[in-house]
Amino acid sequence: MFGVAGLGATARAWAEERYGPFLSRRAPTFGVRVRATERYRPGRTPRPSATWAGGRFALASHPSRAHGDLGRRRVDFRAGPGPALNPDLFRLLCSFLLMQKGGVLLHASSVVDEGRAWVFSGPSGSGKTTIAGLAGDRPVLNDETIALRPAPRGWEACATPFYGSGGPSMARTNERAPIRGLCFLRKADHFARRRLSASEAVARAFPEVMLPKRDDRVTTRLLDTLAALVATVPTWELAFKPEPALWSYLDGLD
Amino acid sequence: MDWTDAFPVRKSVPWRTLDTEALVVDVKGGLLYPLNSVGARIWDLCDGARSVDEIVGVLAAEFEAPEPTIRADAIEFLERLADAKLVSIERRRKGESR
Repeated sequence: MFGVAGLGATARAWAEERYGPFLSRRAPTFGVRVRATERYRPGRTPRPSATWAGGRFALASHPSRAHGDLGRRRVDFRAGPGPALNPDLFRLLCSFLLMQKGGVLLHASSVVDEGRAWVFSGPSGSGKTTIAGLAGDRPVLNDETIALRPAPRGWEACATPFYGSGGPSMARTNERAPIRGLCFLRKADHFARRRLSASEAVARAFPEVMLPKRDDRVTTRLLDTLAALVATVPTWELAFKPEPALWSYLDGLD
Repeated sequence: MDWTDAFPVRKSVPWRTLDTEALVVDVKGGLLYPLNSVGARIWDLCDGARSVDEIVGVLAAEFEAPEPTIRADAIEFLERLADAKLVSIERRRKGESR
C-alpha cells in the first residue's frame, strides 16, 4: 500500500485514471516521493537493475530510477519524461517490495474459475492474453502481470494494474484468489499437459519474474521464493488451442 | 587440462537444490543452469576439499556406471562449469591445505 506524494494536478489525474481500481483510502505502508528529475541519456540504453544491501535498495528502469529504505519505508522515485508514476519503474518497485514479503511478480495472466485462480505464465507470444480473452464471465486478474504471494492457507494470485496487450480492460478488477495451478504455456492445435518437477518449474518461472536478476541477494531470494511456491502449487506445461473448451480441459488437471 | 591434483571449487553464485536436482545462476551472464541429479551431486561435491579423483570415487559408489565412464563424464561436466566460470580449479598436492 503506497502513499504517493509530489504529483502535480495533471500527473495526479493521470495516476488516478491509470491505477483507478487499485486506489485505496487505507493508511499507506510505504511512502513514495515522486520527482521528475531524470532525462534520457544518449548512447546505449542501460538495462533495468535492482540492487539491495543493508536495508537500502536501488532500482533503475532508464531513465527513471528509485532508491529507498526498507526500515524507514520510504522511496525516492525519480521519474523521467512522461508519466510521473512511470509504470515500468513502479512495476519494478512493486516487484521488489513483493519479494521482500516472500512473493513474486510474475509475467503471467490469471483467470478465476469457481473461486480459484489459474495462473498462465510464459514469454511474450505464448498465449497469456489469448487465454485471458477466453475467460468469458470468469474474472480476469490481469493478462500480463500477476502478484503471487503466500497466504495463511496457501499461495494466492492477486490482480495488478500492469496490463499487457489486452489493454486497460485487463486491469479493471482488484481481486485475489487462492491458486489452483500454475501453467507454463505453449500454443498448439491440441490440448496437452505435463506435470513439471520442482526444478523444471523453478527454471520455467525464474525468467518470468519481473525483476532484474543481476544481484546475488535478489537472485538468491528469488530462488528460495520460487522453490517455496512450487512446493505447494501444482505446476504444468500446458499446450492449448484457443477455444473455450480449455476450461473443461483444465478441470481434468486436478 | 591435466586433472591430476585438481580440486574444483564452486564459485560464490546463487544456487539451490530441488529434490535431487539443482539450479545454478550465473548472475553476471544472466543465465540459469538446470543440473540433473548427477550434475547436482557433482556441484555439491565441488567444495574445494575433494579432488577430482575423490569426486569420481563418490559418484562411482552412488551411481551404477563404469568408473571410466563416470570419470570422463564428470571431467567433461567440470570443464563446462569451469568454462562458464561457475567453478575454479585449484591445483595442489593431496593433503596440502588451501
